[in-house]
Amino acid sequence: MMLLYVLLLPFVVTFLTPLMKPRLATAVSAVAFLIPFAYTIYGLASGLVVKIPVADVVHPIGRFYILGDQVSFSFALAICIVSAMVALYSLPYMAHRFEEMGRELESEYRKYIFFYNLYATSMLWLVFSGNFIMLYIFLEISLLASFLLIYMYGYGDRRRVATLYFVWTHIAGMLALIGFLMTAAANGSLAFDAIAKIGFVAWLLIFLGMIIKLPGLGPHVWLPWAHAEAPTPVSALLSPLTVGLGAYVILRAYLISPWFIKAYTMPIFVYGVVSSIYAGFMVFRQNDYKRLLAFSTISQMGYCLIAFGLGTYGIMAVIIQYISHAFGKAILFMTAGGIIANYHGLRDITKMGGMHEYIPTISNAALLGFMNLGGILTVGMFGEFFILKGVVDTFGLDISTILAVVFVFIISGLYSFYTYKRIYCGTPAGYEKVKVNRLLDTPLFIIGIVSILLIFPPLAAILLNAVKAVIAKVAIATIGGVAP
Amino acid sequence: MNWEIVLLFVAPVICSLPIAFYWVKEPGSDRARKLPMLSVFGLFISFVIAIHILLTYPNGTYTIPWLPEYNINFVFIFDYLSKYMGALTAFIAFMIGLYGLEYMKHDYRLGWYWFFFNMFTASMLLVVYSDNLLMLLIGWEGLGLASWGLIGHWFRDDDHLSYVGVVGRKVGPLKMYWPPSYGGWRAISTIRIGDMPMFFAVAAIYALTGNLNISQIHWGVLFTKIGLAGTVFLMLCFLMGPFTKSAQLPFSEWLMTAMTGPTTVSALLHSATMVAAGTYLFIRLSWYIHPWALHAVPGVSVLYYIVLLVGLFSALYGASVAIGCLERKVLLAASTMSSLGLMFGCAAASYWYGKLAVLIAFWYLMTHAFAKATLFLVAGHLIHATHDRFCCGDLNLAKKMKTAFIATIIATIALGGLPPLTAYWVKAGMDTVMHHIAETVGSLPLDLLLITSLLYSAFLAKFLSLNFWKGDKYHLHLHGEKLMPFAYACVVSMVFLLLYRILTGTDPLAETHLLEYGLDKDSFIVGLGVTGTYLFALVVPRIRALSPIGTFLGDRMYLPALNDFIVPSIGWAISKLIEYTHKAIDWFCHFGLPDGMLGISRRIRAIQVGYMRVYMKIALAFVMAAIVVSMLGWL
Repeated sequence: MMLLYVLLLPFVVTFLTPLMKPRLATAVSAVAFLIPFAYTIYGLASGLVVKIPVADVVHPIGRFYILGDQVSFSFALAICIVSAMVALYSLPYMAHRFEEMGRELESEYRKYIFFYNLYATSMLWLVFSGNFIMLYIFLEISLLASFLLIYMYGYGDRRRVATLYFVWTHIAGMLALIGFLMTAAANGSLAFDAIAKIGFVAWLLIFLGMIIKLPGLGPHVWLPWAHAEAPTPVSALLSPLTVGLGAYVILRAYLISPWFIKAYTMPIFVYGVVSSIYAGFMVFRQNDYKRLLAFSTISQMGYCLIAFGLGTYGIMAVIIQYISHAFGKAILFMTAGGIIANYHGLRDITKMGGMHEYIPTISNAALLGFMNLGGILTVGMFGEFFILKGVVDTFGLDISTILAVVFVFIISGLYSFYTYKRIYCGTPAGYEKVKVNRLLDTPLFIIGIVSILLIFPPLAAILLNAVKAVIAKVAIATIGGVAP
Repeated sequence: MNWEIVLLFVAPVICSLPIAFYWVKEPGSDRARKLPMLSVFGLFISFVIAIHILLTYPNGTYTIPWLPEYNINFVFIFDYLSKYMGALTAFIAFMIGLYGLEYMKHDYRLGWYWFFFNMFTASMLLVVYSDNLLMLLIGWEGLGLASWGLIGHWFRDDDHLSYVGVVGRKVGPLKMYWPPSYGGWRAISTIRIGDMPMFFAVAAIYALTGNLNISQIHWGVLFTKIGLAGTVFLMLCFLMGPFTKSAQLPFSEWLMTAMTGPTTVSALLHSATMVAAGTYLFIRLSWYIHPWALHAVPGVSVLYYIVLLVGLFSALYGASVAIGCLERKVLLAASTMSSLGLMFGCAAASYWYGKLAVLIAFWYLMTHAFAKATLFLVAGHLIHATHDRFCCGDLNLAKKMKTAFIATIIATIALGGLPPLTAYWVKAGMDTVMHHIAETVGSLPLDLLLITSLLYSAFLAKFLSLNFWKGDKYHLHLHGEKLMPFAYACVVSMVFLLLYRILTGTDPLAETHLLEYGLDKDSFIVGLGVTGTYLFALVVPRIRALSPIGTFLGDRMYLPALNDFIVPSIGWAISKLIEYTHKAIDWFCHFGLPDGMLGISRRIRAIQVGYMRVYMKIALAFVMAAIVVSMLGWL
C-alpha cells in the first residue's frame, strides 16, 4: 500500500500547488517527486513487486491495478528525479518566459505549475499502470497537458506547432488504442497478468503507434518542431521522458507476448540503426540549439529500437538507455534554456562560441549531459555495453551488424563533442558575463551526479540487479546463440 | 588494504574538488590560487600509496564487489607490470603537479585544469591496476575525457602561444594551424573512433567467455572457438582502442595537435598516461595471452604480425616527422609516436621471441616515460622563458638555464640509445629480438627498427642543439623559477635508477638479459651508429638545402588532410544528402499534405453554393456518364 500513497502524493500535490505562491509551489512539487524517487530506489534495492487493485472495469477491459515491478521502478527512477529537478528549474525559467510574454508571474504560474505537475504525474502513473487501458488514459492525459503547455507558452508559431504535436501523438495513441482493444477482444481482459497473447494486427498497430511516439525514421518529423518550440522545461520532460515511454509500452507488450519482436528482429534492428544514423547526421547540420537536441533524441531513441531485437541483454539495454538518455537530455535542454533565459532567447548556435567564458556552470553541466549521451563515465556506459553484448549474443561475430552498431555509437560521441565545441569553446562571442540563477544550474548538476553515481557501487548493483530480475521473469532463450 | 586501494584513485579527485568548485565561485581570487596545493597533495597521497604497493604488496589480485551477479567486479591486479607502472605514473604525475604549481600560476581556469589533471592521473592509475576490462574501460574513458579537457584547456583560442603550427599558413585547402579548442575536438573524435570498437570487443569477450578478468580468461580457448577470422576481427577491434590512444598510423594526428594544451599536460600525456595506456594495455594483454604458446591457434600469428608492422611503420613515420619539425613540442610529440610504435613492435615480436620481448617493450616504456617527461618539462620552461613555441636558443641560454641544459643532455642521450646510458641496453634488447625474428618474418622489422633508431637519436640531438646551442635568436624572460627545474631534475634522475637496476642485474626478470644483449658486438655497432648520427645532428642541426624535404616531413606528410579534409568532406556530403531528404519528408507531412487537403476541401465546398444550375449540371454530368458507360457495355 505504501506505493499507492507514494504515487498519490504528486497527484494530490498537482491540485494543491495552484493555490500556492510560486516559490512554495515549486518547492512542494520538487519534494512531491523526490519522495517517490527515494521510494523507487528502495523498490529496486529490495526487489519489490507489488500489485494494488484499483477497480474492476467492464468485461473486455478487465481489472485496473497498480503494478510496481522492477521495470516500473527503473523507469520511475528517471521520471521522478528529472521531474523534480525540472520543477525547480521551472521557476526562474518561466519567470523569464512570462516576462518576455508580458504576463504576470503569480497568476500565470498557477496555471503552469498545475499542468506541469499533471503532466509529470501522469507519466509516473503510466509506468505503474497494470492495464493497457489505464496506461492509455495516462498517455492521453500526459499528451493533453503537454499540448496545453506548448500551446500556451511555446515559442515561434506555437499554436500551429502544438496542433501539429497533438495530431501526430494522437494518431500514435489511436493506433495503440485500436491495438489494445483488439487484444481485449481476443483475451477478454487488458490487465497485464491476464493477457495470453497479442495477435499480429494488434501488435503491429501498437508497434506502429509507438514508433510514431518514439519516434522512428519517417514519423520523426514532428519531433524537432515540438521539442524545439516547447517552453524549455516542457522540452526537458518531453524529450527525456515522454518519447521514451513509447519504448516502455513496447517493452510491456514484449514482456507479455514477445513473439512479434522476435519474429521481426532483423527489420527492427536495421530500422533502428538507420534512424539513429540518419538523425545523428542531422545533428551536425542544426543551428538551433534546441532543434539540435531534438534530433539527438531521435538518434538516441534509435538505440532503444536497436536494443529491442537483441534478446535478454537488449531488453536490459532498453531500460538503461531510457534512464541514461533521460538524464542526459534533461540536462542538455536545461542548458539550452539557461542560455535562453540569460541571453534573451539566444538559441542560434552560429551566434554562440566560447560561451564557457560567460556561463561556466552551465557549460560544465552541458559536458555532463553530453557525457550521458556518449555513455562516457555515466550510466549510459552500461546501456552501450548491454547493447553490444546483445549484438554478439544475437548475431554472433557478424561484421556488418557490429560495425553498424559501433558506427551509431561513434556518431553520438562525435556530435556531442562537436556541439560542445561549437557552443562553449572557441573565441568568446562577446556577451556580458551574467550571474546565473542558482536554480538554473544546480538541478542540472544533481541529475549529472546521479548519472555518475549509477555506475559505481552500491547504486550500480542495485539498478543492474533489478534489471536482471526482469530477464529472469521473461526467461527467454537466447536467440541465435554464440559465434560459430 | 581496502581503504588504501580506494584512496589511491579517489584521493586525487577528491583533493581537486575544492579548487574546481571554488574557482567557479571566485575565479582568480587569492584564496583560490592557493588551493592547487591541495590538488598536488592528492597526487602525493597516490604517489605514497603506489610506492607502498610496489614495495610491500604480494603479487595477486584484490577484489571489491561491483556487479557480482554479472561476474563483473573491481579486480585490482598487482604484478610486475602494474606495480612498476603504477609507481612510475604516480611519481611522474606528482612531479608534474609540483611543476604545474609554478607553470600554471597565472592561468585563468585553474579549477578546470586541476580537476582534469588529477582525474587524468586517477584514471591512468585505474587502467594500470585493473584486471577487469569493464573497470579498465572506466579509467580508459576517464583518460579520454580528461585529455580532451586538458588539451582544450585554453578554450578561448586567444593566445597564439597555445596554437600548433604557423598561424595563418595554408597548404591547398588545409589550414596548417590548430587552436586549442580544435586540438581537443581532434583528440576526442579520434579516440572515440577507437574506443567504440574496443568497447564492442570487451562486450564480445564477455558474451563469449562470461569473464572479464584479463588474467583469468582462457585466451587460447577463446581464440580457438572463434577461429582465424573471428580472432583477427575481435582483437583488431580491441586494439583499435590502444592504436588510437597511442596514436599509431593513421590515427596519429590528434597527438600532434594535442600540443595545444599546457605543457604540463603534454608531459603527462606523453610519458605516463594516455598514450602510454595504449601500449601498456597491449603489453599487459600479451603478458596474459601468452602468444608465444599459441602457435597452434589460427589467427594469432596474423594478429601479431599486423601489430608488428603497424608499430614499426608508425615508429618510422614519427621519427621522420620529428626530423622535419621545428616546433619544440610537436617535435617531441612526433618522437613519442615513434617510441610508442617501437613498443608496439617489440611487444608484438613476443609471438616469435617469447615473453622477454614483452619485458623489453615495458622497460623501454619506463625509460621513455622518464626521459620524455623531462624533455617536455624543459620545453615548457623554455616556452615560458622565451615566449616562443619554435626552437630557439644558444649557449648563452644554456648558461642561464643550466639545469634545463643538463637535464636535456641526459634525457636525449639516455633516450636516444647512446651507450652506455639506459636506452642503449633496452634498444640492444630490441635489436636482438628483431634480429632473432628475422629468420621467420623476414628482415623488414629489423630494418625499420635500425632506420628509426638512427633518425631518433638525430632529432633528439637536433632538439638539444637548436634550443641550447645553434638555435635562432630569442628574448629571454626568466622569472626565477625554482619548482620547475627541481621537478625535471628529479624526473631525469630516474633514468639513472633504471640504469643502476640494469647494470647490477638485481631483477630476476629482465636486467640480466639486457646486460647480455648490450655487450653483444652487433648491438655495440648499432650503438656506435646511433652515436654518430647524434653527434652529426648536434653539429649540423639544420641543413638548409634540404628544407623542401624538411617542410614535407614537418607538415607530417600531409596526413592532417585525413582529419581535416577527407573525413569531414565525406561526413558533410552525407549529412547534406540526409538534410534534403528530411526537408522533403517534413515538407510533405507538414505543408504538402495539409495544404493539399485544404485545397481539396475548398474544391468540395466550392461546389455547394446553393444555385440550382450547379446541381443541375452535376446531375446532367452523371446522366451523361451513365450513358457513356452503358454504351461501352453495349458495344
